[in-house]
Amino acid sequence: MRLVLSWLREFVDVSAPAEEIAEKVGLRGFEVASIEKLDDGDAVIDFEITANRPDCLSVLGLAREVATVYDKPITLPSSDPRAKIALKPVTIGSSDRVKVTIDDAELCPRYAAAVADVKIGPAPAWMTARLHAAGVRPISTIVDITNYVNVEIGQPMHAFDLAKLAGPEIRVRRAKPGETIRTLDGIDRKLEADMLVIADRDRAQAIAGVMGGAASEVSASTKLVVYESAYFKPASVRRTSKRLGLKTEASSRFERGADIGAQVVALQRAIALMEQIGAGTAIGPVIDCYPQPRSPKTLHLRRDRLTRLLGVSVPDAEVVRILTRLGLRVTSTPDGWDAVAPTFRVDLLREVDLIEEVGRHYGFDRLEATFPVVTTAAPPPDPRILRDRLVRRVLTAAGLSEAVTFGFIEAKAAEPFATAGHASIAVANPLSAKFDTLRPSLLPGLVDAVAHNRRHGRSDVRLFEIGTRFAADGETRGVAVAWTGNGSGDHWSGGSREVDFFDVKGVVEQLCGVLRVPVDFQPASESYLMPGQTASLVVAGGPARGEPAGLVGQLQPAIADARGLPSKDRVYVGELNLDVLSRARVAASDATRPLPRHPSVVRDLSIVVPDTLPAAIIRGTIQSAARVLAAPLVSISFFDRYQGKGVPSGSVSVSVRLTFQADDRTLTDAEVQQSFDTILAALVRDHGAVQR
Amino acid sequence: MTLPDQSAVAAHLAAFESELAQAKSARDAQSVRDRYLGRKNSVVASWMQLIASAPADQKKNIGRYANELKQAVEARWAQHQESAKFLDVPAGAVDVTLPGRVPLLGHRHPLTVVRDELEEIFTRMGFTVVEGPEAEDEWHCFDALNMPAEHPARDMQDTLYLATPLKGESGESGRPDDLRTLLRTHTSSMQIRYMQAHEPPIRIVAPGRVYRRDNLDLTHSPAFSQIEALVVGEGISLADLKGTLLAFARQMFSPKARVRFRPSFFPYTEPSAEIDLSCWQCDGAGCAMCKKTGWIEMGGCGMVHPAVFEAVGYDPERYTGFAWGIGIERVAILRYQVEDIRLFYENDLRFLEQFPY
Repeated sequence: MRLVLSWLREFVDVSAPAEEIAEKVGLRGFEVASIEKLDDGDAVIDFEITANRPDCLSVLGLAREVATVYDKPITLPSSDPRAKIALKPVTIGSSDRVKVTIDDAELCPRYAAAVADVKIGPAPAWMTARLHAAGVRPISTIVDITNYVNVEIGQPMHAFDLAKLAGPEIRVRRAKPGETIRTLDGIDRKLEADMLVIADRDRAQAIAGVMGGAASEVSASTKLVVYESAYFKPASVRRTSKRLGLKTEASSRFERGADIGAQVVALQRAIALMEQIGAGTAIGPVIDCYPQPRSPKTLHLRRDRLTRLLGVSVPDAEVVRILTRLGLRVTSTPDGWDAVAPTFRVDLLREVDLIEEVGRHYGFDRLEATFPVVTTAAPPPDPRILRDRLVRRVLTAAGLSEAVTFGFIEAKAAEPFATAGHASIAVANPLSAKFDTLRPSLLPGLVDAVAHNRRHGRSDVRLFEIGTRFAADGETRGVAVAWTGNGSGDHWSGGSREVDFFDVKGVVEQLCGVLRVPVDFQPASESYLMPGQTASLVVAGGPARGEPAGLVGQLQPAIADARGLPSKDRVYVGELNLDVLSRARVAASDATRPLPRHPSVVRDLSIVVPDTLPAAIIRGTIQSAARVLAAPLVSISFFDRYQGKGVPSGSVSVSVRLTFQADDRTLTDAEVQQSFDTILAALVRDHGAVQR
Repeated sequence: MTLPDQSAVAAHLAAFESELAQAKSARDAQSVRDRYLGRKNSVVASWMQLIASAPADQKKNIGRYANELKQAVEARWAQHQESAKFLDVPAGAVDVTLPGRVPLLGHRHPLTVVRDELEEIFTRMGFTVVEGPEAEDEWHCFDALNMPAEHPARDMQDTLYLATPLKGESGESGRPDDLRTLLRTHTSSMQIRYMQAHEPPIRIVAPGRVYRRDNLDLTHSPAFSQIEALVVGEGISLADLKGTLLAFARQMFSPKARVRFRPSFFPYTEPSAEIDLSCWQCDGAGCAMCKKTGWIEMGGCGMVHPAVFEAVGYDPERYTGFAWGIGIERVAILRYQVEDIRLFYENDLRFLEQFPY
């Protein structure tokens, strides 16, 4: 709202400079967008008006705020002949020139109108200068008067050329099926059945509260006009304006709520201005269709409640002063005050709204700063927060840096990752195709982040992300990792190698270990991962045994390529469902285990087995053989795997380190040898293993 | 003995260098040096002795050559001593100046660094950190927050809706038709979920991602993160809100921080205010960071609107409360002096590696 300073001063006698007014009113809740100095010494302060204060989309509304800030009286428009802001005294009645009927009083509770004999021409310089300063383009006497009244008191008005109305009559009704109108901007618009129109006998002549029609537009040859000054239901204007994609000065006022008490006053002001500039005279009485007049609401404000909510005791006199200056009628009651909320304050609906008014003008800067009393201990945080912090610590310690990508991505980035039964969810109203699909997986975003880094000259990229994935059966929290380039650190001593499956698997194993989730890795196939380089994770025990927990593998080069990664790059990825991992955590005892009191014995076993035999099977065979052993087997570790000279093709030499240890005695060589032989025999029997 | 001359100087210097080069230890080298420079029985000493017995016209020359040799050998010795520090090392010694094998260490994302710090500060103040869903239903995101169906904030222009709804978490709302139809536009929806599940007193912060129908540019992003606070109890006041924010600002930004409330409007709070903090770089004097105003806009706050309490079944006569929300990117942008919000989502390692582990 562009407030012209000289216009404001007609309402409030305030001599302070624009900067001071702007700052003070700014601290009462009206953000200042700019201050503009005009050539003639005048100034314009552009205030941003919050949605709850449509009354301040006018000079009068802001004048009330200024009057309260400076504690000065306000000069209201008056029909007193000496009044500075003059209203024409009028009589209310029906006109023999035009008949007004409201068909839909729900959408239009009040419609006032006045007929006038007019002379069309340019408005005087003082008026056009003010309109200019307020940001309104001057057009002609009659149109300028309606705009002037709108800026001044906040009541949008319209003028119809009476000669162009069929009837002549005005009917406020809903649009008929298939009805169209050419609006003032020259565009033909299709109307819908719930849109309110102002019609003559035959057809719509204006879209109520939004824009007038071209057919009855005031032109240079207009002799008689009908001024419209109405109140339209905010929700209806909003809906119509949005549906038509047509936002006007009028619609933005009506949709936030006009003053239902201002319709006749606006006409009186328009007629006074018309006479003042010699642009015409009113004919006959003012028509005021107001079938169910609304009475202003009385709100009760308790002193005690005011103090409790603000945390400061505002003196009674100050409460009364503030509310009265703002235009409320205040009377004292034993425990506080009754205040009549004027019709222009559509935001004052309950006690707390009055408390805000008092607090705002008393000054939030006068509040003390206290700390709320703690009466109970804080409950523990959401377990997801602690879990995610732990996951983050493990992954950063493993050398991966944290990424944050968007929850929505482009459809074609999501498509390869939207697997069967998990179709990705589209955004109904995306602003850009780049963000039109909710991510079904964290991987597409992470792969794009890897590609970004590769494009910027980074050959080694290790990233992870913790975030939300979306699918029709709900949102889940996941963690994903992506790794390309070096598998080990780069060092002058050489020995660096490219990342492979086991780097990413190792990180995932570490993470599951820290979270105390037992998992099995099983060969798997997934369309976005390379066959033969893919494993699925399955919870191996505990409360969520058997649930799938995620995937690890090499990204399909075609997908990497489609996202702009160099084609020779190998990208290894993994993604885990953190919700599943949370459920799968095995409760561990806090008690420590005593350290072993007897030495352990280590034996290495090298066997040649078919190269398709999974290590997990060998381990299983050893474990089941170990159940009956004399010497307890406490650890099995694979420390070498060799194919080549000396090993038949199709076979592999596997070396396993076996550690034996008993709690209660020192093992004898014979016991260990016997156990070792039993294990070997099981491997020979089950897998045709040959000891090397 | 022949008298020293220029060629004798050069010959002795060459011999010295070769003997020094062959020295196998510091002790060897020292004895080589002493043979040339020692007070007794050294080459230089013997030359000096010659002066006394030399013919008068030769005395001056001998002195000059002796000095020349002495200086040259001393210079060479000094050089040798300097490099010996590095050369005279035990067998198998390593070059300790070569780079070590630095274990790989990743970095937290800057938005996490800020979020962790916010969570820590509020935890110290007795707040509990909670999280909620990003896909929401209209009731939790709008209706319960005093934004009825016709409210402008529910415009398709601001809110991203889903083409097909998502199922809510099982049992969370107790409704079989728990369907999420939009992406939450603010973390305030978490206020509602928490109040539905708990009784006052409440003191929570809820960090998380939020979504708006906005374009991605230098200063805007269609997805960003917020942290929301909610305190509900008997007798919670606007002054308490101010005090809590002040305590937060002093821990997070500057021990001298001040809080200013500018009245504003949010449907779910009344009174509502914008939070300004005194600029911690210039302490309010005006600088580039605060655009010469002395104040930094931090977010919105206010006293919980009674209609919100009514929506979750709390008695607004008995309970009062406050809430606020601030943008985590906003804090990160100011703290790290980041000029382009997109840097947070590009995940360029050259950027990420500037932040702590």
